[in-house]
Amino acid sequence: MDEFELARYVTIGQYLPLDSRVHRMDPRFKLVAFTALVVAVTFTPSYIGNAVLLVLISYLVVLARIPFGYALSGLKPALPVLLLLMALQMIFYTEGFAGPAAGIACVPLFKVWLIEPTTCSLKLALVSAARFIELLMLTSLLTLTTTTTELAHGVERLFAPLQRRINFPAHELALILTIALRFVPTFAEELERIMKAQVSRGARIGGYGRFRVIQNTKALLPVLVPLFMNAFRRAEDLILAMEARCYVGGRGRTHYTELHSTQADYLGLALALGIAILVLAMPWPW
Amino acid sequence: MEQTSVLSVRKIVITGILAAIAILLGVTRLGFIPVPNISGNATIMHVPAILGGVMEGPIVGALIGTIFGLFSFLQATSPIFKNPLVSIFPRIWIGVVAYYAYVGSRRAFGEIPALAIAGVLGTLTNTVLVLSMAVITKLIPIEVIPSIIPQAIAELIIAAIITVVVVGGWKRIESGSGGASV
Repeated sequence: MDEFELARYVTIGQYLPLDSRVHRMDPRFKLVAFTALVVAVTFTPSYIGNAVLLVLISYLVVLARIPFGYALSGLKPALPVLLLLMALQMIFYTEGFAGPAAGIACVPLFKVWLIEPTTCSLKLALVSAARFIELLMLTSLLTLTTTTTELAHGVERLFAPLQRRINFPAHELALILTIALRFVPTFAEELERIMKAQVSRGARIGGYGRFRVIQNTKALLPVLVPLFMNAFRRAEDLILAMEARCYVGGRGRTHYTELHSTQADYLGLALALGIAILVLAMPWPW
Repeated sequence: MEQTSVLSVRKIVITGILAAIAILLGVTRLGFIPVPNISGNATIMHVPAILGGVMEGPIVGALIGTIFGLFSFLQATSPIFKNPLVSIFPRIWIGVVAYYAYVGSRRAFGEIPALAIAGVLGTLTNTVLVLSMAVITKLIPIEVIPSIIPQAIAELIIAAIITVVVVGGWKRIESGSGGASV
């Protein structure tokens, strides 16, 4: 019966309730700092840049008092794929990120039959792996130190000035996020009920093996169609309830919680932005 | 007088609900259908974005895609999808393409084929953009792409079927007759 217990796989809002500077950071500042660091990691092709970011992000994990094993829990299951990708990069991308076009000489490391990895392809593989680890830690850092409510508030307040000026739907976006997160557990339960109902009527859900794609797909339809239909029915109920209460979003709404930024928030943001700009703008030699 | 929002209550709720399903399909593994190739799984997680685009327009489709992308980035355990250029950017366009495919082909082919076309083109947007971004960021070599084609075909067929059945069922379109009776 294990395959029917879906609700326990829902791990959204994996929040670690600790008290640290990272936990206390204003969600608006945290979101901007997070985005800046993600951009920096994604676009830095150098060893030094990635080393700087790796040190900074590790420091933030320590500062947030999150155990490293926990922050990197995604690494172990990904290891086979990661190694396979690194091998493919070494074999096929002998020119690395840009190679001779950027005026970087690629020195062949060794040659076995047609496979000839160079210093450039080694760099590509290592930098890609480093990026993966950095992003893994960064996303853990965000989700483990911020509740989903804080995230929704953060998104709303961050874009609130745009709502005033160009009617950007900041409040509505936050509401959409809240509805989405609110309904995931509900739908997980519903899905469980539908699966049990269909199986009790003799349905077989999945488990046909890799080579019987058509059977596997057909088996999903009796589950997916009722799931979507029920979801739409719930949506209609919610729409009716909101409209009956004359819901009006956007400008002029006041909030139960107010966000207050402190000096530490500005400092943290300045640090993240400063390092992101430094890493991206500097022409690192390696 | 308050300025009215670009998003009606209906759009807000449908976006939230379909995004919830996209997230759910991702976390429960139900969204993955086993196929025999290198990645091992075909996905149907993008289908809510197609449905949202077809039913409520391009903005809803884009928003569902963005939320789906954000979660696939935050929860990814694969090095390919732990990259915002691969996991977020391509997903924004799924619902947008699905909407225009549906609206553009509805008149010429009728309701049911238009839904199937929206499903196919929405899925193609996802597959083509994700793979191109992965190749551009040099995460996977272009030589690996052929091995993904069977999976892509499976995804196209699944998405087309689900789009037709769900939207058709919801709008109570009589199938087989060709004409729509919404």
